Amino acid sequence: MLFVHYDDDLIFIERFQNGDTSAFGDIVLKYQDKIYNLCRHMLRNADDAEDAAQDVFLKAYQALPKFQPEASLYTWLYRIAINTCLDYKKKPIFESLFGDSGEGERLIHDRASDAPSPEKLYQSKQIDQVLQEGLEKLSPKLRAIIILKEIEELSYEEIADTLEISMGTVKSRIARAREELRKIMQKFREQNP
Amino acid sequence: MSCPKTKLISAYLDKELVLSEKAAFEIHLKGCNSCAHALEELRSLRVVFANVERLPAPYGFATRVMARTAELENKKAPWLVPFFVRFAEAAVLLVVITVGILAGKVMTNSSSATTTTNIASSLSLDLFDAAPPGSLGGAYLAMTEAKHEK
Repeated sequence: MLFVHYDDDLIFIERFQNGDTSAFGDIVLKYQDKIYNLCRHMLRNADDAEDAAQDVFLKAYQALPKFQPEASLYTWLYRIAINTCLDYKKKPIFESLFGDSGEGERLIHDRASDAPSPEKLYQSKQIDQVLQEGLEKLSPKLRAIIILKEIEELSYEEIADTLEISMGTVKSRIARAREELRKIMQKFREQNP
Repeated sequence: MSCPKTKLISAYLDKELVLSEKAAFEIHLKGCNSCAHALEELRSLRVVFANVERLPAPYGFATRVMARTAELENKKAPWLVPFFVRFAEAAVLLVVITVGILAGKVMTNSSSATTTTNIASSLSLDLFDAAPPGSLGGAYLAMTEAKHEK
């Protein structure tokens, strides 16, 4: 689990708000992987993900002078990222149809050191592929919340803060997203015993 | 047929139930195959998520972001960076215009008298005399008239 250095964030913000724009470079270096991966899972396209991730940091750069240091920097960045990706998905369907670079397979984790059997490896890849397709079938709001919970490992409170929704809404959306994915995985297992 | 308590499975999995709810749900799980099965499937789903690949940001990502922020800064204050250049340009332009105006005035004053005389003489009927002004004959007549007056 990634340990977030909250003290670093406060230092970066203070430096930036005092005129040291290089502090923003430190923020980018610290959060670029997380923001990029969030965009990848939301958009399922590496090129779109990089463009969106760059847009996230540009928006953050413009808004950071007014950022209140008491708030959480990383949930704030996640919020910008989710909103950016939700807006990105509204692009003309032509782009989304021809923008798929087969990223789904590249999202699969392949631990060579565990050395599973070829059959298990193939099945593992299939399951991951089904998961990615299942994520794609979720509504953008449900996809965002399940990614924040299961992949980014945020707590319910952090998710509520990020998405600016109530705890009750967080719980119900997570439950709905999981139920939909569970049904998709169940169907896959029934078809591939 | 799904059990009405399946809505608690997600919160149970995330340890978000209060103690009393958790205890009651665990008792329920022992007697409900539907909920027990759903819980196992969600646990499997969690394992699948745990194995999803996390990639690093593309090489040079931070550099590209900082380059775009620098572009933003230049757009925000275009007068700041080349300020002295623009000031110098404006100063040179002002000097050129001033010199042009002054030069124009000087040239206009020196040629105005000559211009008036030429215009007047070109309109005079003396031009059609046998010895018009400015000709050799006219100059001779002017000299002889001056001699007679003396």
